[in-house]
Amino acid sequence: MKAVGEKRTPLTRRTLIGMGAAALASTALGLPRPERRLLQMNAYAPDAETPLDLLTTYITPNDLFFVRHHWNATAPDPRTWKLTVDGEVALPLELSLADLKRFPRTTVTCVLQCAGNGRSLYTPPVPGIQWRYGAVGNARWTGARVRDLLAKAGVKGTAKHLHTAGTDDPPSKTPPFHRSLEIEKALEDGIVAWEMNGEPLPPLHGAPARLVVPGWAGDHWMKWLAKLSPRPDPEKGFYMDVGYRYPAKPGEPGVTFKPEEMRPVTELFVKSSITDAPARARVGSPATIRGVAFSGAPDIAKVELTDDDGKNWKTADLGREHDPYAWRLWSLSWTPKSPGKVRVAARATDSRGSVQPREAVWNQSGYLWNGWHSVEIEVRA
Amino acid sequence: MTEKAPLAVVAALAISLAALGGPGKPKPPADLPQLGTLIAPLPEGPAKDVADRACLNCHSGDVLRQQRLTEKQWTANVTKMIGWGAEVPEDRREELVRYLAKNFGPGNVAFRPVAVRPIRPNR
Repeated sequence: MKAVGEKRTPLTRRTLIGMGAAALASTALGLPRPERRLLQMNAYAPDAETPLDLLTTYITPNDLFFVRHHWNATAPDPRTWKLTVDGEVALPLELSLADLKRFPRTTVTCVLQCAGNGRSLYTPPVPGIQWRYGAVGNARWTGARVRDLLAKAGVKGTAKHLHTAGTDDPPSKTPPFHRSLEIEKALEDGIVAWEMNGEPLPPLHGAPARLVVPGWAGDHWMKWLAKLSPRPDPEKGFYMDVGYRYPAKPGEPGVTFKPEEMRPVTELFVKSSITDAPARARVGSPATIRGVAFSGAPDIAKVELTDDDGKNWKTADLGREHDPYAWRLWSLSWTPKSPGKVRVAARATDSRGSVQPREAVWNQSGYLWNGWHSVEIEVRA
Repeated sequence: MTEKAPLAVVAALAISLAALGGPGKPKPPADLPQLGTLIAPLPEGPAKDVADRACLNCHSGDVLRQQRLTEKQWTANVTKMIGWGAEVPEDRREELVRYLAKNFGPGNVAFRPVAVRPIRPNR
């Protein structure tokens, strides 16, 4: 399938570097390319996305889960790590990992997607890591509910925003990644997670504990979590007032929005990606097309595919596995009607009725891309 | 310099391992480099030395090599990064912007991410 990032290109020093020596060598010899892999978007700080053809399972394995850092971070020592709960509380807390694990244990299965996933697909281009489709995964997160922690600390009614901070100190004069989110969302769905898919949370994913905010973009999921502070007002600073903001209403592509014309990125947008489709098919012979769909709404209502640029749509079968804010696997048995190069596109509709648009709303930071995803299939008579 | 893995060696190793695997057999992920070990240098040019010093302290050249930005966007980003501590001599600032816009302008579609091996759970 052609939509996945690694196109075949002539053998030059530049492409050798670009594609990875091993992958190119296997291509040159006509051997199958390695299956299990990540795509390095930044050698340091570590950023890597999952190739779409590996996002075909309900649970994304930890070793294939996308990785995103703002800068080189040092994971805290779990033996000495503490989580501070302070701010608008009656009783500030200092919790060790053992203390945290004494709270009622809860597990949620949900999607984690980088706010910038799909940034490279915006036209005109915008700065930042040029993620394509794979800065997303679906995992089982186990930990303590934020509401249990805040109840223990005696959170006050004056608290409207939950300020969060991790231990990843930025280099030089780079502003710290300090954030806040509405306290209602944190109390309703937030988890301080120390396990990912049944394993201790890996350091690159925020060990010993990170925030999990089901249905909301990854910028809220603070890694190497060190502090939870309920406060009356939102956090200030670059990563609240300039970064991670999305236009309140659409504008002209390429025309920069002012900060006051934007709101913080919160819920994910409804989105479907095709993860498996044949490169070739025959007229009259059914071919299976598969993918994933998810949203900031708790569930997906339907996924449809078109092979005539949106004039007609066929409804895909949704996988049986689902949890609130998790993704749905889907598949469609598609029978090509005529020969030629056929573009097949998918769109999802969520449980609140939001429909994936043909084009995403351009914004200068390239957040929340959710345009139709398509693949080209060569159909022979 | 930032290029940690000699490319020719990696390529030769990959070819020999691939040959051992034989056609039709999926290659084990051990053939792939680890995340962060294969780092391409920035292209040659008049302000490469400035870019090496100013940009590569905090992130790899991958971040630059994948951008497709106009000179206006590069000017804004260089200003932002200087504010965040990137050391750019004032008299070479415009030269740096020109270098970035020339190599990583809107027509820069050459970037392909390096395929790396899966990340072991508790690396």
